[in-house]
Amino acid sequence: MELDELKQKWAEHDRKLDTSIRLNRQVVRELYTGRARSALVRLAAIIGLGSVTTLAVIMWLGRFVYDHRTMPRFVLPAAALDVLAIAALATAIRQIALALQTDYGQPVATIQRRLEKLRMARIRYVEAILIASPLLWIPMFIVAMEAIWGIDVYATFDLKWLVGNVLFGLAFIPVGIWLARRYGRKIEGSLAGYNLQAASEFIATLADFERE
Amino acid sequence: MNVAEIQESFQKLLEEHRKILYKICHCYCRNPDDRDDLAQEIVVQLWRSFQSYDGRCRFSTWMYRVALNVAISFYRRERVRTEHIITAEEPLLAIADETPTQPDEIRLLYQAIERLDPLNKALILLYLDGNSYAEIGEVLGITQTNVATKIGRLKETLRREFGAATRG
Repeated sequence: MELDELKQKWAEHDRKLDTSIRLNRQVVRELYTGRARSALVRLAAIIGLGSVTTLAVIMWLGRFVYDHRTMPRFVLPAAALDVLAIAALATAIRQIALALQTDYGQPVATIQRRLEKLRMARIRYVEAILIASPLLWIPMFIVAMEAIWGIDVYATFDLKWLVGNVLFGLAFIPVGIWLARRYGRKIEGSLAGYNLQAASEFIATLADFERE
Repeated sequence: MNVAEIQESFQKLLEEHRKILYKICHCYCRNPDDRDDLAQEIVVQLWRSFQSYDGRCRFSTWMYRVALNVAISFYRRERVRTEHIITAEEPLLAIADETPTQPDEIRLLYQAIERLDPLNKALILLYLDGNSYAEIGEVLGITQTNVATKIGRLKETLRREFGAATRG
């Protein structure tokens, strides 16, 4: 059967749908009033809470840096952590803003590419956190010991111990990369239902689709 | 317009174009529960985007864009089961049982569309719904020439599919 014949059959099917389908007005109303809105409020609250927590960490680290401004051995790790926290917050806010600004009323190829790039950015963000994590624990340890118990890690542990841990962290990066590839994509993938390879393949499919 | 008037106008337009919702959900989901989830997601996104609808294009063109964008994203979530946005006693689209009366050609056509990738699904659906090449291009963001080329290829694909189905 030719597509043009099918188009006629489709038009008949379309006419029958006029009488056979009914839109449930009550369900539609519920979708854009109370319950759907509260789902949005919950989502916004979760995002907001995460951002507020990160902001609190940034401020706390800023205060720590200020209080220890004459002690570079504490300022350096705390400032490094603060910069990372600021970068993480800025990235999260940017991603949320981009997601909220996405106008679904734009052409399909444009929006699908934008959404796919957003997903790839989110996957890479999770990966970067996992990769950096082995290196972060030493500055965290130094700052936390000083801030909570007033213990100077540099004085308590010898230099070899610190250097050894930094080297261990560096050596652990390949493991971090492996973990990120294996689990980072799975974590993000399970949240969004995507993985990086599928996302890049779909971008290639889109490019192919747009090509004449 | 106040909120109540906007809601009323939205309801009216959605009612008039409910067939688009039905057909997109049928083309992108085999499972009836998934269809209802998708229909709910589409309606929520249509409502959220409704304020940005400026009337420069026809409502149906705008609705196809929003609904297809949501459907493609939904379809590509690797069949991860999504939660109902609301748990309604009745489905969003109440349909008279059409299976026994649905012609074989339409059933086969839905099955053939189901096998296409999400972008070609959109293309064929827009074509079958009687949209011009210019309108299809406007919804999908591709040129008219490109639409014509792809429709030509899809005709071939569907001819083969239907040939195999009727022989089988």
